[in-house]
Amino acid sequence: MSDNVILSIRNITKTYPGVTALDDFSMEFQRGEIHALLGENGAGKSTLIKIISGAIEPDGGSIIFEGQEYKSISPAHAKDLGIKVVYQEFNLVESLTVAQNIFLGETEGWLTNHKKIKEESRQIFADINVDIDPSAQVRSLSPAKKQLVEIAKVISTKAKILIMDEPSAPLSASEVETMFRIIAKLKQDGITIIYISHRIEELFLISDRVTVMRDGHFVKTLETAKTNRKELISLMVGREFKEYYPKRTNPPGAVVMEVKNLSGNGDENISFQVRKGEILGVAGLVGSGRTEMVNVLFGSVPKDSGDIYIDGKKVDIHNPDQAMRYGIGLIPEDRKWQGLILNSTVKFNITLAIFNKLARYSLVNSKVMNGIVSKYVDTLKIRTPSVEQRVKNLSGGNQQKVVLAKTLAADTNILIFDEPTRGIDVGTKQEIYNLMNDLVDKGKAIIMVSSEMEELLGMSDRLIVLYEGRFMGEVPKEKFDQRYVIELASGHPG
Amino acid sequence: MRKINLSGLKKYTIMFILVGLIAVFSLTSPYFFTVRNFTNIITQNTYFIIAAVGLSFVMIGGGIDLSVGWQMSLVGVVTAILMVEYQAPTWLAVTVGLLLGTSLGLFNGLIVTNVRVFPLIVTIATSTVFQGISYIISQSHTYRNYPTEFLFIAKGKVLGVPFDVILAIVVVLFASFVYAKTKYGWNVMALGGNEEAARLAGIKTRAMKTSVYALCGFFVAVATMVMIGKANTTSSAFGPGIEFTILTAAIIGGISFMGGEGNMAALVVGVFVLAVLGNGMQLAGWSTYAQYIVRGIILLGAVAFDEFQKNRKSKRKVKPFGGNKSENQNQLSGAGSASAE
Repeated sequence: MSDNVILSIRNITKTYPGVTALDDFSMEFQRGEIHALLGENGAGKSTLIKIISGAIEPDGGSIIFEGQEYKSISPAHAKDLGIKVVYQEFNLVESLTVAQNIFLGETEGWLTNHKKIKEESRQIFADINVDIDPSAQVRSLSPAKKQLVEIAKVISTKAKILIMDEPSAPLSASEVETMFRIIAKLKQDGITIIYISHRIEELFLISDRVTVMRDGHFVKTLETAKTNRKELISLMVGREFKEYYPKRTNPPGAVVMEVKNLSGNGDENISFQVRKGEILGVAGLVGSGRTEMVNVLFGSVPKDSGDIYIDGKKVDIHNPDQAMRYGIGLIPEDRKWQGLILNSTVKFNITLAIFNKLARYSLVNSKVMNGIVSKYVDTLKIRTPSVEQRVKNLSGGNQQKVVLAKTLAADTNILIFDEPTRGIDVGTKQEIYNLMNDLVDKGKAIIMVSSEMEELLGMSDRLIVLYEGRFMGEVPKEKFDQRYVIELASGHPG
Repeated sequence: MRKINLSGLKKYTIMFILVGLIAVFSLTSPYFFTVRNFTNIITQNTYFIIAAVGLSFVMIGGGIDLSVGWQMSLVGVVTAILMVEYQAPTWLAVTVGLLLGTSLGLFNGLIVTNVRVFPLIVTIATSTVFQGISYIISQSHTYRNYPTEFLFIAKGKVLGVPFDVILAIVVVLFASFVYAKTKYGWNVMALGGNEEAARLAGIKTRAMKTSVYALCGFFVAVATMVMIGKANTTSSAFGPGIEFTILTAAIIGGISFMGGEGNMAALVVGVFVLAVLGNGMQLAGWSTYAQYIVRGIILLGAVAFDEFQKNRKSKRKVKPFGGNKSENQNQLSGAGSASAE
């Protein structure tokens, strides 16, 4: 058994400011197996694969690949060893063609031959039964096709270990089947596959073994055939599923926001209502237009047509400032770029949107300001040494709380959370859920966009589902069912 | 399909602008549309083209080099002193000049990759350094009367065609070949298009980045030989300012400021748009200062068009780096405008 080990991870530790991503982590992979990694966001899966593929260096520990011990490896070296990765976020050069991307860094000699690599790309696509034009610019492809290009990129090379990080996230159901066929073929060729997915049911379809991670620690490696969904989830979250998403008791109140036939930013004809004291979930695959819709609601991208009503009155929102005056607040998907000024202090960030309210004759009343800041630091339990701490030194969860504090300080009633728990460790995630529940109990309305189905089903009162910019339907709480929602999100109306 | 049309449109827009300018100036001055004037425009711009090709490697690789002008000053002064003061043979002086240019570029590249500061800042700083060294070496003197062999570079003819024109054509064809057919060229485009993707594909991005600055320095040195040969004189004041002309030409010629894309033919057209504009306005009796204004407006127009086209391409504004940044600015300016009310 042990002589069949291709890769073992020994006591790897990696810390980021405020977070320990991997803590004395060890595990083993066997030759020719499909090994799934399972864990919540922030469990350390992405960090682990980045270390295996050489994208980042660990602080301590070592990697043993085919009997050879390494302290760390570079991306070029990992490639030479035959460790290839299909990354979660696209690593394609948008301005180059599909064929150029597939053979990026792979062509022999100093001359290139576009014709030849186009032909070879065409062959790869034919083998895996995918219809993509090798001479198209990557920029023009849909997210699903980009994902397939990423996969083609790694199978064009001789890989020994293939790491796939959430490869199914942007794919529809039939495309996922295509991908599983490709994976099964690669396994036959003796390639070890490390597979990461949030969709637990996928692991049962494809993997031989599964390793559960939690908070940067190794929990357990199990044979997939000998375990079940419930066991995996409880190992993953470390407690029973039910208490994970706290229950709310107050029933939703009056409609505070209504959207009628809204189009813009690539989305078409979207209609829904949000009530006081409820959480409306927005489901859809990557590229379905969820974030695009949110940007239109918040006024950061203009709408093409359709109407928005706040408290029954029709409103025109042209920019985020107006949106905030109508009580709409956005906690954006990419908090580091869109939500925070990382180099500035906690205090500065919390008061960013209310400078004008705090100012009298252009002078900021610092007493009032400090009062507001400490109120939110206390109520949201933002863990920071002081309010003068730079936000970039906080953990992901605390950064998210700072964004939330900024939005709440601006007196907003309709809060849009775009991927509220992305990159946040499990403990803090629970706190964010509790905070969201407190907010709706106090009469705020929440629109929550999330890629995590369980989070959506656990937290929402109702769901709307989008697919490629189109409105696929509304799902009431009684009809919450993971499979049904995924079908809708893949473009198959229930 | 729409995208192909658009990029086609862009390629032709720049051609249309050039043809339009030629048409307009032909009407405003009888001296404009003549063989003699066109020959002038072409031969006066060969070194701009060569230097612009050099800069294109840095820009397509996602960087910028604002020290090009002072590189030319320093290389020119050193080459001239070797020939005029020390009577060094032409081949030696030129070789030293080319090596010096390459090393200045290499110096920029090493700082950009090792200190990891924005290339804009790095090259503003190094250009000041080059300026100081150039004046110390030249002692603010002017050097003239080069050997005849050297003057051949700028004034000689091969089969009736000026040698510098041939040189410029060779440089442009060479660069086109590099981008279209060589691994190096593709890696430069990958570096500028998405540095992280290039790094993860195993491309040695640091070495690549350093090398584009060195290559830029080499071509800039070649351009310097033509420049000082044409004037048959040089001083430390020869060169500075050129960086903005070729930067403008490159952007007009569709080389993206964000890197990753570019086309050598369009770059040449970009140089000639500026050249025709300057020449035509001069013949029509416009002052140099009025020309500056027009040139600035054209640069703004080209950048705006580039940006407009990018936004059209990505119909949905979600992820791109630039988009996010402008969104932050929106939020800020939103808050600012509110306080003004």
